[in-house]
Amino acid sequence: MSTGSFAVPASPRQDFASGVVHSLPIVAGAIPFGFLLGSLAAKAGLSALDMGLMSALVFAGSSQFVAVELLDKGSAGLAVVGAILLVNLRHLLMGATLEPRFRGVPRARAGLALFFMTDEQWALALRRGPELSLAYWYGVAATLYLAWLSSTVAGTLAGALIADPTAWGLDFTFIAVFLCLLAGFWRGAGSLPPWLASAAAALAVHALSSGGTWHILAGAVAGGAVAALQAKGQGRTRNV
Amino acid sequence: MSETLNLDWSVFAIVLGGALVTWMTRIGGPWLIARVRLGPAANAALEATPGAVLVALVAPAALSRPSDALAAAFVCLIARRVPMVVAVVAGVVAVVVLRRLI
Repeated sequence: MSTGSFAVPASPRQDFASGVVHSLPIVAGAIPFGFLLGSLAAKAGLSALDMGLMSALVFAGSSQFVAVELLDKGSAGLAVVGAILLVNLRHLLMGATLEPRFRGVPRARAGLALFFMTDEQWALALRRGPELSLAYWYGVAATLYLAWLSSTVAGTLAGALIADPTAWGLDFTFIAVFLCLLAGFWRGAGSLPPWLASAAAALAVHALSSGGTWHILAGAVAGGAVAALQAKGQGRTRNV
Repeated sequence: MSETLNLDWSVFAIVLGGALVTWMTRIGGPWLIARVRLGPAANAALEATPGAVLVALVAPAALSRPSDALAAAFVCLIARRVPMVVAVVAGVVAVVVLRRLI
């Protein structure tokens, strides 16, 4: 069976274990939020089974928060599905950056592996670099999946709202994790203009619509546009 | 049967729809990009996307208050020098202290 451009590790078990270990800091931050989502779902009238199925099948945190909020408000089913789609549109860009890895991977295998692609999964996979194997991918995926499924179901069963995670600085876990991952993408001063453009666009859009995840798409597009301009500029100086 | 196992079919239909569209956004990226040929500028844009997405993910939250911005700057400083777990724990401790002080 072909694994495309994924590395074939000497010890898949060890690679899987590395994936599990690297996911632990993320899991520590995700569990309180899963618990919070579950308790919000209970408030919205969802059963633990409803919540479990949503976490198991949708498996996309921010979109689940939006969905539960809309269900609580009694929104129409199509509107909820549409909101989930909008929040998850960013996956298109993330998946596009992983395409070289999935080239030549049989369709069913790729479809299964990509089912688990969350923000955190994607970032850890890129950070792994050329060593990235499917064993590592599934080490991360299994850990994040189990943590998310169990914490959201536990939250629904517990029902009552837990204390605000921000009180313990747990909300900052995600910021810290993403900043560490971002540091891995630093390629010298040339990285700065796209990042600043992304930050500016994200902040502007976030100020206009703080609820959604449009700011992520805006930042990605702005950063990509500046990087494209940089590449064009370099091409021109080379031609001179 | 306890309430725990109640299945609301209208919620289940929404879950199925949400699951399908989400999975499509996940498989759609590689599928689309394999079907278009990218020039150097588009390639540079795609290469810059991961960093730009991460910046956009953190920027609003990291800059929401001075304490968080300081802690975020601290994490950036140590991120390349210590293991990720250490940087994350140090960042969370820093933000808890800074939020009390500022």
